[in-house]
Amino acid sequence: MVIGAWISVFLTLAILSYLYKDNPFYKVAEHVFVGISTGYWTSMFFWTQIQPNLFGRLWPATEYDASSLWYKFYNVFGVFSSVFPEGGIAKGHDMHLIYLVPFALGIMMLLSVSSKLSWMARWGIAYTVGMAAGLRAYGFLNSNVIGQIKGSAFQLVNSNLPYFALVGESIFNNFVILIGTITGLMYFYFSREHTGNFGRLTKVGIYFLMISFGASFGFAVMGRISLLIGRFVDLIHYSSSTYNHATLWILLIMVVLLGYSAFMDKSAPIEPPAK
Amino acid sequence: MMKYIIELILSIGKVDRRWIFLVIGLAVLLPLFFPLGLPIRATNATQRVYDAVEELEPNSKVLVSFEYGPSTKPEIHPMAIAILRHLFTNGQKVYVTCLWPDGQFMAEDALTEIAEEEYGLTYGEDYVLLGFRPGNEAVVKGLVSNIRKLYTTDARGTLVDQIPMMANVNKVKDFDFIFSASAGYPGTIEWVQYAADPTGVPMSTGTTSIQVNDVMPYVQSGQVKGILAGMPGAAEYEALIGSPGIGTSGMDAQSIAHLVIVLFIVFGNITYFIETRRAKKY
Repeated sequence: MVIGAWISVFLTLAILSYLYKDNPFYKVAEHVFVGISTGYWTSMFFWTQIQPNLFGRLWPATEYDASSLWYKFYNVFGVFSSVFPEGGIAKGHDMHLIYLVPFALGIMMLLSVSSKLSWMARWGIAYTVGMAAGLRAYGFLNSNVIGQIKGSAFQLVNSNLPYFALVGESIFNNFVILIGTITGLMYFYFSREHTGNFGRLTKVGIYFLMISFGASFGFAVMGRISLLIGRFVDLIHYSSSTYNHATLWILLIMVVLLGYSAFMDKSAPIEPPAK
Repeated sequence: MMKYIIELILSIGKVDRRWIFLVIGLAVLLPLFFPLGLPIRATNATQRVYDAVEELEPNSKVLVSFEYGPSTKPEIHPMAIAILRHLFTNGQKVYVTCLWPDGQFMAEDALTEIAEEEYGLTYGEDYVLLGFRPGNEAVVKGLVSNIRKLYTTDARGTLVDQIPMMANVNKVKDFDFIFSASAGYPGTIEWVQYAADPTGVPMSTGTTSIQVNDVMPYVQSGQVKGILAGMPGAAEYEALIGSPGIGTSGMDAQSIAHLVIVLFIVFGNITYFIETRRAKKY
């Protein structure tokens, strides 16, 4: 618990130290992050998908027969008992040998590391791209095209609505949506030069887009500040005596070491990190 | 005097940006030590989420999906906690899935804190953690057609067929409500496209601030019933359910930091216009 807190504080302060300048603390944290993320994702994918859902369907415990050739082959891998337990894999699946196809495609994707056999990886990638494109086309057509057209097809002047409201529905807001949608779409019509009356309308579209980008920027700032608050809350929490004042000690050590490094290297100007 | 002020503004414009980092850091840090208690009012979007949850009958089946990890925990975890609190207070049955691997740890944290320790609920009867499955939108599509094909066991290794609350729950259509706690892809948009829209099951969401603009068109068109927008959304929801939590405690720092950033933007623009005018002059 305490060791975990110290590691957490060190990694947080090491990453934040990049705001001063690129330094060894930051480099250590960066490399640790990349290494652990890769290991974590690999392990997670293996134990939640490949072992239970792939191997579990190829050698299920429900159809285990030690005398069959298929399970004799399985038992050869029994040395890795945590992956291939004795008696088959009990994850609630029946046998589906069709899963040999994705298994083969997966192995072919891994062959991309070999320069001679890397061409085989294209088959797996082609399957993934085709499947994803088909799946996404349906989702976008249904929700983004049809759903959004339905959503913007409303009664423009509705007597039940107020003329103006800052939030919620109003006749004024209906006009804003109408004008914003039409002029925004016009801006993305490139088969005609944006001049004259058409150009003036597309300019209105640009203003709507700019408002949208401004809102996106505002939300992005809000998100980053929220994350900073989260880290600061943890740092404050770990500065208590329960964790042996982890934050204060690590901060002090880092400041002293970075200060000493800057003092010894007077010749080189301290450049702020790249924008 | 005016000349002095202009020179001062210009010199501020040339300041090393590390001073700006320091000022922002202090603007966030100080309100955490000295809270101001600024008022929190629910926006229309947050109110719609609250109303959608309130409208559910007791014992409704609610699918809550965790699509975030430690990197976005400060924004999404408070709203996940608040939503679980609201659902359990109203006596709903909660089914948790995760489209992100880290989401499973976040879900375990939230369920232990709320379902087990705060409400003393029974696993498998009041709530269940189905866990993470890789496959992004394919997982959502799989849940829509047959949950049992995708989840034969839950996150604790129990066979799904042996979990009492999983009886008669075979696909997304069997749920009364979906809530997606989402920090990106796969997340809210995939739930709208592949689950809520095709099945007609109502859904709400809580997202990171940066995603709000992408999700807002679905909220505006009624495809998503309200949205909790980042940490402020969580704080507003906490205010609505009358249970201040982590979201609320960070709002003072958020407001002060925003004010400081707005001031920097104003200063930056003033400096830009002064320099542009000077360049034209000479």
